[in-house]
Order: sequence, then structure tokens, then C-alpha cells
Amino acid sequence: MLENVRVLELSEPATMLAGQILGDLGADVVTLEPPSGAAGRRLAPFIGGKPGLENSLTWHALNRNKRGITLNLSTPDGVSLLEQLLPAFDILIEGPAGLPDADAIAVPERLVRCRVTPFSPSGPKAHYKSTELILTAAGGAPALAGDVDRSPLFFPVPQAMMEAGADAAVAAIGGLLARDRDGAGQAIEIGAHTAATLASLGRIVAARSGGPLARRSAPTTIGRLPPVPGLFECSDGWAAVTLLFLPAFMGLTRGVVAWLVDEGSLPPDHMEIDFLALTSRLARDEADPAPLHDLIGALTRTCAQKTKSEIAEASQRHRFMAAPIMTMADIAAFPHFRERGLFAVQDIGGERVEVPARFVQFSDYEIGVRRHAPALSEHSCELLAAHAGLGETELQALFSQGII
Amino acid sequence: MNLPLSGLRVIDMGWLMAGPHGARYLADLGADVIKVESGKRLDPLRGLGPYQDGQPGLNRSLSYHMTNAGKRSIAVDVKQKEGVELVKRLVATADVFVESFTPGQIDKMGLSYALLAEKNPGLIMVSSGLLGRKGSMGMGMSGTGLTGSAYSGATNLVGWPDRAPAGPYGPWTDAVAPRFLAVSVLAALHRRRATGCGTHIDLSQAEAGLQFLAPAYYDYAANGHIAGRVGDAIAPLNAPSGLYPCAGDDCWVAIDAVGHKAWSALRKRLAPALDAKEFDTLVGRLRARASLDAAIAGWTRHRSAREIETMLQAEGIAAHVVSSDADLGDDPNLEALGHYEPVFDPLLGDIVIPAPSWRLSADPRPARCPGPILGAAGDEILREVLGLTGAQIDELREANVLG
Repeated sequence: MLENVRVLELSEPATMLAGQILGDLGADVVTLEPPSGAAGRRLAPFIGGKPGLENSLTWHALNRNKRGITLNLSTPDGVSLLEQLLPAFDILIEGPAGLPDADAIAVPERLVRCRVTPFSPSGPKAHYKSTELILTAAGGAPALAGDVDRSPLFFPVPQAMMEAGADAAVAAIGGLLARDRDGAGQAIEIGAHTAATLASLGRIVAARSGGPLARRSAPTTIGRLPPVPGLFECSDGWAAVTLLFLPAFMGLTRGVVAWLVDEGSLPPDHMEIDFLALTSRLARDEADPAPLHDLIGALTRTCAQKTKSEIAEASQRHRFMAAPIMTMADIAAFPHFRERGLFAVQDIGGERVEVPARFVQFSDYEIGVRRHAPALSEHSCELLAAHAGLGETELQALFSQGII
Repeated sequence: MNLPLSGLRVIDMGWLMAGPHGARYLADLGADVIKVESGKRLDPLRGLGPYQDGQPGLNRSLSYHMTNAGKRSIAVDVKQKEGVELVKRLVATADVFVESFTPGQIDKMGLSYALLAEKNPGLIMVSSGLLGRKGSMGMGMSGTGLTGSAYSGATNLVGWPDRAPAGPYGPWTDAVAPRFLAVSVLAALHRRRATGCGTHIDLSQAEAGLQFLAPAYYDYAANGHIAGRVGDAIAPLNAPSGLYPCAGDDCWVAIDAVGHKAWSALRKRLAPALDAKEFDTLVGRLRARASLDAAIAGWTRHRSAREIETMLQAEGIAAHVVSSDADLGDDPNLEALGHYEPVFDPLLGDIVIPAPSWRLSADPRPARCPGPILGAAGDEILREVLGLTGAQIDELREANVLG
């Protein structure tokens, strides 16, 4: 898709996914690191639990399909070589640190520059120290997750850098399309804080709009409506079953009832109950909640006797919404993902490993893993020879002086 | 204003968020996005809050406005073959077609990629579904971002190790999939400029969600380690780093003292609470994490989260309120970015529409529009795009095709 597009990424955690998405879509991506290695190389987890610049699995997961170069941008040689490299690229992706002294560096006019900053550079938090934890917390999603008797919840995987990176990939190709048409470069700013607010799914508008605020809370009941759980324990883990009492979803709720009747967990006359009417009467405290209690009780008991994949199969047969709560091992073993061709083979620390690289399936194009994540400085000599015309002795000099 | 996609037309037949929010990214980049919806079978997002002033109504859902901002709406009854014919004619003029029906449904409606591409070989079509189309479980499998999160591995990863999974807030993959939808469409548009070729993009919400969890997958693939729930302990390799309780009900602050300088500044600010010798080194602090966190919490719990954020940031220590709805609503950074500049909606007056996370140099403060009133641009679209006359439009209306 992007086979003729050349991307230079000044590696920081927030740029890694952006560069990789463009690389997955076919672009020729070069990631530039300081000689001591990019910050992303120090992110857990590590191969075999052993720290090391080539061992970060987060690095391997976010830098496939890239070549790697090192340059010390705090030296005149580093800056000069960067200037010689830049004309060979269409897109430059930068993180908060960005170009060392942007004003002093000659940036080609046709370059599409795309810079991720944590907070708005012109806003009141421009000077803030920020980290992954800070930006995810500021995005609003963690405060809405989990039980009110404990602290808010986070993924064990960084999220703010993913949100910013994915948005940067979108904006970078947007800028490229503008250039395809007008010939002019772009300077695009991506706000990582704003990108992270999308995970709070529209709650950002609620506080300013007079509606009720969402808070973490114990399950509440409206009138005599019993709390409706979304997760059910089954024989080998958990399954999500969606029971919604809204007009657009009643067909699915009837599917759940039909399954439970089929299983003998509910009497057949439960099929006759109009749960939409019942729940709206319950909300006004005008009805007996027993049929709803029976439904939830039967669902809980039935799920407890099934495996999560049996529940998923039943949901397809009876047309309701349910899903197994997948672990990474379940995902690796899930035949459907394999049949789609989600996985491609990547070399990770000398081992051939299947990774879920194909984030979409195109009818006439296949995302592939053409390159493993680069080892530190793996392609420095090849790139500097090609784009800056450096000879062997010059490359050795740069290495011995700690510039590459 | 010359935006990247100005002059391009997108037909959006998505529901809820994953498909339509991807189309909103395209609208933000300047495309003319026509939302084809039905008054008989409403987009469920029109029935989900939050609502302006807390009052329900099919044009009052702020989630709908957020996800459909900047689009035009035409209401078409696709249960009738004349309705399907209209959609087919609209798609014949379009660059991009997004649909998120239960996989396979679009083919039954007579709007398969194969048929549409015959008339419009440059068409870029996206089918967004829970598990996609290809693969034995794809077709006929409907779902939302809640089931998408379960299949992506997200639900299992958010929660406490000693409790049932809690899952991330809401239908999480609805916030992830739109990025992969948009970026795939944009890449296909770039290729089309050179080749004229369209494509059919088969997107699974679950697979898109998995991309944001890739390090955990790689941990399994390379190490055989199955990542589990960690509660709020997201930084086991640094201390202090975590969430601390503050004054007020369910109020928290995130503090991340990275490096010796930030740690020394924090120690000085909280003196003498953190003076213990065992806290001198990182290894010491990791070993004494429980007493370190208790000492910090003893200090934070009497202060407001906002006060702590300001105080610590002034000393160069990374800290931020763990933002609730209310905190987002008066966040000075979002305010400065113009997130809360009122956007005028003809029915609701001034409403809030979050801006995109990016600013293009050509468009530093993008104009924002509300989401469309159901069917409001129907006549205009039929006249402009299909060249229908007033009499032809009246005929369609009388036959109940519009609505």
C-alpha cells in the first residue's frame, strides 16, 4: 500500500506504533536511536526475563518492518548526517524530544513532519513531566474501571503510547495524501493526552453537558431491577454475555432466553415474557422482578457448567452476544484467527515466532513481516553509506567517537 | 481550506462506534461523509447517552454527535429494494464505503464488494465486524466492543489478580478499531492515486484491539508467559510509581518519580516522610515498596489530587490527577486545546464535540460541526450527488423509501 513511502522515525515510546503501522502497510521505515539505544529497548517484558538492549519484547512488538540507525544528535556530525538523511524521506515521525534544535536543522519543504507531544505545547501543562502512567491516568479511562473499594485499573501494557502512535499513523498518511495532491509538506502536532481520552469513549463530553457523571460504583439497581452482570464464570474461565434491555438489543436478549430454554435451564414459557416492558415497569417499581432474577440465575448456573468456547458457539447458534474472555494463550490457539491469517512469522532473538501482525485483511494485499525489529545500529553503515556517501574509514571514525 | 481528503466522498453505513468513528477520522481529514441510516431501525448510538442536559431524544445523544460529527445524514429504508438501489447509486459515486452490519448481511442486501466494484473499481470498502468476515466464525457473528474486548484479550487483562476480570471501561475495542480502519483506508487511497485500484478491507474489532496489547502477546509467544491482571501495579520496575488516594470520594493521583533527580525532589517535598535510609536506592525502594507507598499515601490522602499535581509538577516530578469525568470537564489542557469551544447544533444549541488529537499545519484549529439530525440532508444529497429532481424525491418519499 505504501511501498514507495519512506519514513524516518526518531524513536521514542510514542512513535513506535506509528512507525510500525506504516511499515506494516509497506512503507520503508527507518528508526533512529541514540548510540545508547532508544527508550523503547528498556521496556518490559524481556526475552527469558533477562534485561538487555536486544531483549525487550515491547521493542520487538513495535519495531518490526523497520531498519535501525544510531546517531548522536547532540554532536555536530550527528546533526549534519541527519540533515543529509532527511531529503531521502517523505515522513518524519517525532516524539516529545523531537529534533534536537529544530530551528537549526534544515528541514526539506516537502517533508511531512508529525510530532507527538504529551500535552499541548501552547497549553498550561506544556512544561509537565509526563510518563506513560501520567498520560493514561489523565485520559479518563482508568478512573471508570474496576471496583470502587480499590484503586482505578490499568492494563499491564502501556496504552497512552499506543493511542498516540495509532493517531500519529493516521495523521501522517493524512498529511502525505495532502502532499500527494498539493506538493507541500506539513507540520502535524499530535496530542497524546487528547488521543488517550478516546478510551473514555465520549465521557469527555458528559461533564460539560449537564448529564449525569459516570463514576466507579458498586452495581446499582434501578427500582427493583436486579443488577445485571456482564461476566459469568464458566468451567474453564470467564465468558462475557451481553444482556441489554434496550429496543435495539431485545432480539439478542431473546436469543439468550432461547438458549436457556433449550438447555432446560428455564421453562419454555419464559420465551413469552416481554423483557423490555418488564424492565421499564421494574424501573418504576411497578412489577415483580422474579422473571428477571430467574433469567440471571439460569444464565449463571448454565454458564458454570459450560466451557467458554461452548458458550461462544451457543451464542452463534442462538444469535446472542457472548464471548470467551480470552487469555493470550487462548488467542494463540483460536482457530478462527489462524484461518484469517492474523499471524505472520517474525524472528525474535533468533527464534521464529508467530505474531499477530495482520491488523486488517485487504482483498488484494497482505501485511507481512518483511523485517525483524532492528538490533541496535543494525543498518547504520548501510544507510549512511547510501544517503550520506560515507566511506569505510569515516564510518569507523563515527563509531570510535561514539557518534553512531 | 484544503484538507487532505477534501473532495473525497465516504458513504458510512456503520452502526454504534467502531465503523462510524473510523469514518469520523475521515471527516476530520476533510472527506464529505454521508451517513446512510434508517429511521425505522435507528443507529443504537442515537439511543445511548449521555444526552444533552440529560434529556433523551434521537437527536440528543452526545455519543452519537461525537462519533458522527461533521457528517451529513440521509435516512433510507434498506428493507425496500428501491432503498438498496439508492444506496448502490450513492456508493457508485463514492471513494470509500464503510459498513458494520453483521458480517455477510451486506452481501444478502445486494451490496457486496464484488457487485459494487463492478460499477466502481476504485472503491475502497471497509467491512468492520467483531471477528471479521474471513475465517470459520466470522460470517453471522455480531458483537459490540464489549465482546470485542473479550476476544482481543483486553477484558482478561484489566482487573485484580484475586478477583474476576473487570475489563477496561466500556466497549473498549470501539476506541481502538477506528484508528486501524482509518489508517488502512488512507493507505489504500494513497495506493489508488498511483494505480486506480480499490480494495475490500476486512476488519475484526478483536484483532485491532489486540494490536494495542501486542507486548503481552509477544510475552506469550516468546516466553510462554500468560499475562494476567495487575490491578493498578503497572510499573513493577520503578518505585515510587503508582496511584495514591487523595482527599475526597474515590479521588486518586498518579505519581511517577522517574530517575534520581525526581526522586530526590519528591523526598525533599515530603520530608521527613520518605527519609528512611532504605529508600536511598532504587533497589531499596523496590524492596520496601509497601512502606514507601504507605508513606506517600499518608501524605497524599489529606490533599486534593489537583493540588498535588500542581505542587509536584512545579518540582519537576511527573504527577497527574487520575481524571474522572468531572476532572476531564475542567481540564486546563483540554480547555486550552479548544475542546470545549461550543459547537452550534440547530436543535440543541451549543454542544461539546471533542476535537481530533492532531492539528495539521494547514488547519491549526479545525472547524467543528455537530453530528447530523436524522435524515436532515436527504434531499440535498439526492439532488447534489444523484441529480434527482424535486418530483423524483417526492416520489421516493411517498413510497416511504426515505425515512
